Amino acid sequence: MSDYYVSKISGSDSRAMAQVDALLQKEGIKRDGNLDYTCAVYDSDYNVIATGSAFGNTLRCFAVSSEHQGEGLMNIMMSHLLEHEMSLGFSHVFVYTKTTAAKFFLDMGFYEIARVEGSFVFLENRRNGFKNYLSDLAEKAFADGVSGAVVMNANPFTKGHLYLVEKAASQCDHLHIFVVSEDKSVFPYKVRRMLVEKGTEALKNVTIHESGPYIISSATFPSYFLKDETDVMKKHALLDATVFTQIAKAMNIKIRFVGDEPFSAVTSVYNSVLSEQLPKAGIELEVIPRVEYNSKPISASDVRLAVKNEDWSFLENVLPPSTVSYLKSPEASCVIEAIKAQKNVVHH
Amino acid sequence: MKVEKTAVAGTLESSDAMVTVEPSKGGIEMELTSSVMNQYGRQIKAVVLETLEHLEVKDCKVTIVDKGALDCTLKARVECAVFRSCGKSDKNIPWGGAVR
Repeated sequence: MSDYYVSKISGSDSRAMAQVDALLQKEGIKRDGNLDYTCAVYDSDYNVIATGSAFGNTLRCFAVSSEHQGEGLMNIMMSHLLEHEMSLGFSHVFVYTKTTAAKFFLDMGFYEIARVEGSFVFLENRRNGFKNYLSDLAEKAFADGVSGAVVMNANPFTKGHLYLVEKAASQCDHLHIFVVSEDKSVFPYKVRRMLVEKGTEALKNVTIHESGPYIISSATFPSYFLKDETDVMKKHALLDATVFTQIAKAMNIKIRFVGDEPFSAVTSVYNSVLSEQLPKAGIELEVIPRVEYNSKPISASDVRLAVKNEDWSFLENVLPPSTVSYLKSPEASCVIEAIKAQKNVVHH
Repeated sequence: MKVEKTAVAGTLESSDAMVTVEPSKGGIEMELTSSVMNQYGRQIKAVVLETLEHLEVKDCKVTIVDKGALDCTLKARVECAVFRSCGKSDKNIPWGGAVR
């Protein structure tokens, strides 16, 4: 029994990786394109008999060889992965798994957040994590009138975002803006939020929230930040939509506004999934066309490109004054440097 | 002792327990999952609380995922998690005092 041992697989170990892929394939799982840590349990002949992986604060791609099921290998592996997560400073950990495998994780201290029936389940290692998040949000909800919601990364806040917010705010009594709080974009969360706050100051019925770990975070929606295949993006979008319907319920949100998406593949997949899923939960989805400058829709990707090329006349036309003055301030210099250092500033 | 940061000790293997302690303000908050909850749930809680009391931990959130650990194992895991959370090393562990 104790002839097994667990260890990290390095990406260049093609023999072990091939065995991991074979093991996953037997379980009908395809190894995710974006993983930053993969471990395996080996038997005494150095064959992979169980595997599991991590990406940021999420764990996924688990499989145990059918000859070794029931030996507690998953527990050995989970201990190893949690130790790894902890060493990176992630104590709040999420798991993706098939609906049929969810019960094994419930025994290891994980709790269900959302489930896409017949497909997969999303779990976290806090008993009341999601419930507490919802009840915190519910305190900021409005019982009367029609509440709407917008989720935006605003990297950075443009006249396009402003137009979307103005339109949305005019169509409902209260508008909740969730600014993606994951710090994975060139503009840090604090700056993005500050620019949204300044840009929407004139609108009285707007409340700004942080999106937290449950809306478009690298836990629920990794392919928003890293390129992935279309069916993977769809799966992630489906999960995000499922989680959002619960948030909408807690906050009495009846309308979700999104910008029309001519450029970014991932956002357009996301929008189409939302348009299928939200009406089922009694939430309206309103797609607002993009505002144009020089007969081309304004996009934050173009803005980053213009920052890279120091095209100030373009920037002054497509950004609200608050964002322009931020970009011209000394605090912005490190962000501008970061944009210039990036090879590709366009969102996939 | 004061829990200063999140720390973990133990594993999820059979006969062990994974104990996580996190800083908190309002007293001791416990979350217990156990494979022998019906038989020993109360006993596990008592052992954890007693160990924390010995260590003079007043405020913390403690999460236990138990896989049938014996009392001595539980005690050791809780102690270890608390030591890790406040930077105690082999030099300043209170043998013979809080650790009995």
